[in-house]
Amino acid sequence: MAQKKSGGKKPTAKKSAARKPAAVAPVEHVPMRNPDFPVGVDYYPLDEERRSWSDWYDRDPEPDFAAMAASRVSDVRVFVSWRCLETQVGQYDEDALERLERIVEAARAHDLKLVVCFFADDRLAEMNEVPWGKRRDSRTDDYLIQRELSLVQKIVNRYRAEPVIKAWDLGNEAFCSGFETEAALEKWVTELREAIREVDPERPVLLGVDPETLLRETGVDPRGAIDLCERAWSHLTAPYRAYIAEGPVTSGPATYTDSFLLRAALRDLPVVVDGIGVHALEFSAAEEAAYVRTALYSALMNRASGAMLRRWRDLETEKREPYFRDPFEVLVGVVDVTGAPKPVLAEVKRFAAVAARLDPRRYALAPERAAVVIPAERYESLPSLAGLFDPRACLQAYIAAKEAHVPVTVAREGDELGGYHALYLPSPGKLTPSMWADLSAFVQGGGSVVLSYGGGDVDPALREIFGVEFNGDGGPRHTFACRVAQPGVLGDLRSFDARMDLPHFGLVTASGAMVVATDATGSPLLTVNQYGQGKAVFIATPVERAIAQNDPWATPTPVRHLLRTVYGTVASAAGAGAMLECDMPEAELAHFLGEDDDILLILSHNAEKTTATITTPRTVATVQDVRGGAPAEVGGKTFGVPLGPNGVAALRVKFG
Amino acid sequence: MTPTRSSQVLVAEDLARRGQLPAAVAACYEALAVNDRDAFVHALLGHLMLEGDFYDEAIAASTQAIELDPDCSPAYLALGLAYDRRGGMWDQSVLVWHELAEVVPDLVTAHVQLGEAFAAAAFEEEAVDSWKRALELDPKEARAHYNLAIAALKREGMSTALPTIRRAGELDPSQDELFFSLLGLPAERLEFDVAKVKPEAEARLFAAGMLLRAEDFFGASDLVRLVLDENPADAGALALAAYAYLKQEAANEAMACALRALTYSAELPTALYTLGVVYSRFPGLAKHAARVFIALAKAAPQHSLTHVLLAESLLGLQRYGQAKQAYRAAVRLDPACVRARFGLAAVRLTEGGYAEAQWEMRRAAYYDTRRQGNFWRLYDAYAEGGDV
Repeated sequence: MAQKKSGGKKPTAKKSAARKPAAVAPVEHVPMRNPDFPVGVDYYPLDEERRSWSDWYDRDPEPDFAAMAASRVSDVRVFVSWRCLETQVGQYDEDALERLERIVEAARAHDLKLVVCFFADDRLAEMNEVPWGKRRDSRTDDYLIQRELSLVQKIVNRYRAEPVIKAWDLGNEAFCSGFETEAALEKWVTELREAIREVDPERPVLLGVDPETLLRETGVDPRGAIDLCERAWSHLTAPYRAYIAEGPVTSGPATYTDSFLLRAALRDLPVVVDGIGVHALEFSAAEEAAYVRTALYSALMNRASGAMLRRWRDLETEKREPYFRDPFEVLVGVVDVTGAPKPVLAEVKRFAAVAARLDPRRYALAPERAAVVIPAERYESLPSLAGLFDPRACLQAYIAAKEAHVPVTVAREGDELGGYHALYLPSPGKLTPSMWADLSAFVQGGGSVVLSYGGGDVDPALREIFGVEFNGDGGPRHTFACRVAQPGVLGDLRSFDARMDLPHFGLVTASGAMVVATDATGSPLLTVNQYGQGKAVFIATPVERAIAQNDPWATPTPVRHLLRTVYGTVASAAGAGAMLECDMPEAELAHFLGEDDDILLILSHNAEKTTATITTPRTVATVQDVRGGAPAEVGGKTFGVPLGPNGVAALRVKFG
Repeated sequence: MTPTRSSQVLVAEDLARRGQLPAAVAACYEALAVNDRDAFVHALLGHLMLEGDFYDEAIAASTQAIELDPDCSPAYLALGLAYDRRGGMWDQSVLVWHELAEVVPDLVTAHVQLGEAFAAAAFEEEAVDSWKRALELDPKEARAHYNLAIAALKREGMSTALPTIRRAGELDPSQDELFFSLLGLPAERLEFDVAKVKPEAEARLFAAGMLLRAEDFFGASDLVRLVLDENPADAGALALAAYAYLKQEAANEAMACALRALTYSAELPTALYTLGVVYSRFPGLAKHAARVFIALAKAAPQHSLTHVLLAESLLGLQRYGQAKQAYRAAVRLDPACVRARFGLAAVRLTEGGYAEAQWEMRRAAYYDTRRQGNFWRLYDAYAEGGDV
């Protein structure tokens, strides 16, 4: 609960309530769920490893759906088994259809919405292995695709007037990872979408893949296919986590990955964050709950249109010797194998209660005017290492911006930049000539750019925009040395020497730019150049990549401080900075602006208890938990918010 | 028959040895363009991808190398390490380490890693057997000791784990280096003639320190005695004497000298270090050890090991929260400190933070295996077609 920071005493909301009874407020009707931010869950056909494909949803969904509804879950994704439904060519199994019907009825009975996924691979139920398919590839074989279209139309036709069906999901990522080219994927999506549209012109069609994780897994860029649909999904897969931020899920970079992928997936379509949950059994129940809490709030705070949990029920695995744990299977749910709820389900319920208070018609998230730009080289394949380095560097840049409390999003080289005031280009090896031209126009027009040197040669435009003369790559270094030459120009920078491997150091001389900091030998490390109406900041070493490629959990404190200070200062000067100040870098803020009051979500990315001190530009009259309770009077511009380990505060803030 | 390497492979190899990751990867691809069935190139590529922490790529390349030549031992190493560092692939990892331990039976790392893979897959007994096998090969293998301590902690709690943690600490050569670093000795070893040491206290103490590092206790004692003859209150000389006694297991004498040194110079790091280490050897003096190590961590906060020593003394007092802070300070200063990582893992396990504990142990393995540089040893042996 909020604490007043100024004036010595720090009254809590409860204390102030005890001192002065709250005025009787009109009873506000609070919905159980937020229809604009539904929480859903994947409901897999098999919950026991010993079951066979023929046991597809061969159970009564009623108790599970009742428990979901009681936990404020709104959406359920179910998976069609082609193998069960079309046992022989053109012959649909009535028993299987009846099972699907049972699911629809259970959803109807509990006011749940269904997302029906047609082609999914859960690595257990063999849903697409039709025996008459003769092992042809169901993604590319024309005959099988025709059969797929028939199946899809049969189901869509059967439920075209069924209000319980919310959306049609063409395929999940495990299935789509079998596509080998963009063209094949787009062709498949186009044909299936058209087949659905012939029968159901209304309900949204989506492709349940994440543009970043699928690209990483297969080398196939699915953005074109996703753009053919009406909804997009983002999710973190176990292999992608191992690539981008392996490590504990309750602290450090791993806690930002879900929202980073969400931001990367947010383009023109609304995005649901899918697959929220841990990927392996090595976590305690408390760690599972902390991670899910972080992922759910990250979704809400970063413009997701909903959230889907990874699995409803733990998979009961066979205790076969010698190895019985397989991390690639979807094992971990929100209830255990007996159906008993795990702590994570209580988190989901609490989250849904908070989300229900966030009416998008009353509150709008403060706009993001700053963006981390993913370079186009990210899409290059080996032997270029850019495709491997860049996502990690971009994640670190995103984290630094979040630590500076800058409302930040993720853009791509080639995107329209007009809506931004500040851009971060983290350690790109190269940018396209058109991007340099865009940057030039952007800065001249009043935007601010931070570019860190990524190694190799640079474009001549560097001199023009950034005001530095490039004299070559100084090579790798083992110490990160910073000597501040112009204190205060780019925030509260401090000189330091830190043990850290730097893959490159660009040797530059200022040719118009101001040298703000140098290395230990006097070579410019940080320069700022006024170019047109805007500012261009150059960091002479790939600091974001260095953070990612060293140990992101043990980055020297001064290095992190340098990066977030530069990012924060540049964004503030460009009008893209934080509206609120917070003394705790690990606290992520989301400021929802309302007419009478604002809602402030504060999420701790720290597994320790802490207190965040928030400073606002206006005097805060009261602060109140959004779920209710008495408001705490503040009467100042600063107040403290105690946060538990990976804790969240959802506050209604009234200014006065 | 000795496998031969093409000129393209040699170029890639040279770049890889010099740590030029992007250039070496490009050279590997050029070599693959010439011959994509060269196990050397795939093994190199696996190693390079591992160096860049690109585990899936490392797994793919190393697997390819093994498919091309099932005797390609460096590829097994890279594959096993990639599985372990990536996490969540313990079953595959067990198979790889098992294979490598058979192919190169004296490769201590293979046994340690095999144990860790077993432990991650919840086969504790097999894990303990593997670590014991590693200790048979190298009784000073720190990670095997710490893993055994963690296994004991999981089974019976901290009280059973502490002796093993202490034993591993005593075997840690970097602890002696801490003393010499506190003394201000340069990292490199200097050759000098004792007879030519200047007759000044500072020079004599420097020389005594160098002799102590070379475990020439008699030569060092002579120089220390000369200093103390001239000035019995020379705290630095007394601290050196304390350390010399400590290394010869004369704890009482070491304690007496260190205490005397501290009466003359209350914050002398070398004396604090020696006194703390002596105290920590007696479980009944754990409280005293913690106090001394608090003073040492304040006097020499830039050394990660001073925080580790403090943390270990706090473990003995069951002050896990404070121990965690001290371990974290050590990891911040030196992320590669295996001792601090395992200590932190032990603390996190007592607090129920399983995933974080697991992560700390994986990080310890990460840094330890990077430091060892076993890949090139195996690679060179493989290139020569002989045994490792």
